[in-house]
Amino acid sequence: MNIAFLSRQNLFFSVQRRRNRGLNGLYIVVGLFLLAYAMLFPGLLGISGFSKFTQNWFPLALVTMAQALLMLNGGISLAIGPLVSLGAVIAATTMGGPLGPIGGLLAVAASGLLVGALIGVIVAQLRLPAIIVTLAGSFIIGGIALIILPRPGGFIPDWLSNLLAGNGPVAFGLLVLLLVCWKLFLATPLGLGIYAVGDNPVGAFRSGVPVDRVRVTAFALSGLLTALVGLFVAAQTGSGDPVIGTPFTLNSIAGAVLGGVGFLGGKGTMRGAICGSLLLSVMINVMFFLGFSPVTQYVAQGLIILAAVAIPELTSQWSRKP
Amino acid sequence: MKFQALRNLSCHRTLLAGAATVAFVLAAGAGPASAAANCIKGDRKAPYTVGWANIYSVPTWMKQTEGTITAEVEELKKSGLVKDLMITDAQGNAQTQIQQIQSMIDANVDAIIVIAGSSSALDRVISDACDKGIAVVNFDSLVDTDQVTAKINTDSNEWGATAAKWMVDQLGGKGKIIVMNGPAGISVSDDRRKGAQPVLDANPGLEIITETNTEYNAAPAQEAMTSLLFANAEIDGVLSLGGALSAGSVMAFDRQGRGQVPTTGENARQFLELWKEKGLKGWATMQPNWLGALAVYTAVQALEGKDVPAFVKVPLPVIDDTTIDTYLARAGQFPADGYIYSDYDKALFDKLLAQ
Repeated sequence: MNIAFLSRQNLFFSVQRRRNRGLNGLYIVVGLFLLAYAMLFPGLLGISGFSKFTQNWFPLALVTMAQALLMLNGGISLAIGPLVSLGAVIAATTMGGPLGPIGGLLAVAASGLLVGALIGVIVAQLRLPAIIVTLAGSFIIGGIALIILPRPGGFIPDWLSNLLAGNGPVAFGLLVLLLVCWKLFLATPLGLGIYAVGDNPVGAFRSGVPVDRVRVTAFALSGLLTALVGLFVAAQTGSGDPVIGTPFTLNSIAGAVLGGVGFLGGKGTMRGAICGSLLLSVMINVMFFLGFSPVTQYVAQGLIILAAVAIPELTSQWSRKP
Repeated sequence: MKFQALRNLSCHRTLLAGAATVAFVLAAGAGPASAAANCIKGDRKAPYTVGWANIYSVPTWMKQTEGTITAEVEELKKSGLVKDLMITDAQGNAQTQIQQIQSMIDANVDAIIVIAGSSSALDRVISDACDKGIAVVNFDSLVDTDQVTAKINTDSNEWGATAAKWMVDQLGGKGKIIVMNGPAGISVSDDRRKGAQPVLDANPGLEIITETNTEYNAAPAQEAMTSLLFANAEIDGVLSLGGALSAGSVMAFDRQGRGQVPTTGENARQFLELWKEKGLKGWATMQPNWLGALAVYTAVQALEGKDVPAFVKVPLPVIDDTTIDTYLARAGQFPADGYIYSDYDKALFDKLLAQ
């Protein structure tokens, strides 16, 4: 029994090590950037500075999680941005009405789950490529957001804005809570299935993993997460904007890939993805405090991303040589 | 309704601010001669650090605008009023712009000038900046909140109306015209077109054959006009509402060997040069790039304790046959795909701020 326990432990850590491989470089780069940021802006270490920074990073962290959740099981979504916008406009149009803030929150969550599940069913049942389904979905969702709220506006109660995006680290707390939930979810059969389906769908199916159900669940959860980001963005800005989410689509993919999540599924970790999004976010602030001009920022941004991906690759090649 | 509510609110705020100022003056015995502008607390001293939060730096118009900002900052550095300019580029992402304005607040800049990427999304971060006593001056694309030191812009409605009136005069109120607009759903394009409508309604003799919606570039406009020329034997005028659309139209007429017709437009160098070269009847106005310079100047004036208007309406400079030569004489100083903006100086700025 002791031996069995030990080997289980070993298996766990060897899997974790395998998943962390190639990410050490990213961790170091992110750590250095955070250190640089704290030195350039000591206010980061205060409650208010920390809260403001994490609030600005929070939406990107969440959409990257939503994207990574899909990419881990071999999917991808090009509808992340429009779905953020949809969440934002639903929040901004319902919270001032008879539904109230709680009803608005439920409406956003329900629409995210519904849209996500619908995409998931189409992808899983009709066996259509996720990239095409979500591309088409992005136009439909974006259009609906524009119909609901044609110009920026709407209403978010002040207390909600101040709670989520005030001077307290509520957003960071939510992120930690979400990570804990993710760990718990991974311990369930459905959660385990996410990696299994991404890594080897046929093998997973033969081992009794409900492949289709895993895929639909992943899309539904990802949709829920994305729509809630919309709610957060609406609270952060105090209003709804029907096109606010657009850049999130590409940035969520960039964050996930930077964090070592592979396009083909089964490869990568959520912590890597979150670190990837953190790098994208902290980079902007560090370059500002270093006084980079916009043109230099474009170049530097590209170089940093390239370095974060290339350095671990190069070091692993060197270390393999005798 | 919402607009009314907002206006009432701002009225309230002004009243409160006024009451506070009176109380302050009474308490201090001898206060400053003029009331301080919005957001200004009077605790910031020259030389100031200015933050320029751009939404997107790539288009030529933006580059030229940034040019006037840096030139103005150099000027103010000489007089010891400004020590530093920090520039950010949100690359079109309103969320990034929020983050960058937050960084400017963290860096404790004294003034922030901004072209907004979203009329609503920046409201809270800009209010935060205002609460910290930072002079916030917003120009070109405006935000909804009134928690700013000043907003600066031209009037897009007036743009459309004036262009339409000129066309009516040229054609004696009778004829067939084509209306060229910017992209659909863009507020500037929308507002200019809306401004033209009452004038067109009042002159039913002016018949609109069709309208185009394209990017504000010459190439797509030329393409659209070329196919319209094939379809329509009689076109008496082109009411083009901005960008380089008019240049595309003139080139399409030229390529097809058709006689040029009265054409309105913007101060794109390409259009002004074609206007002179082809000898057509033209009219143009502009969104002056020096709105950027004016924004910096306004912020520094406010920080210096001067009262500045909450909204600075900049009159549209007009280019017609009598003034076009003065513009073309300076063409060499501007990029080939750029905009030849009207001259500006400190006296003009002071006059605009004295409204």
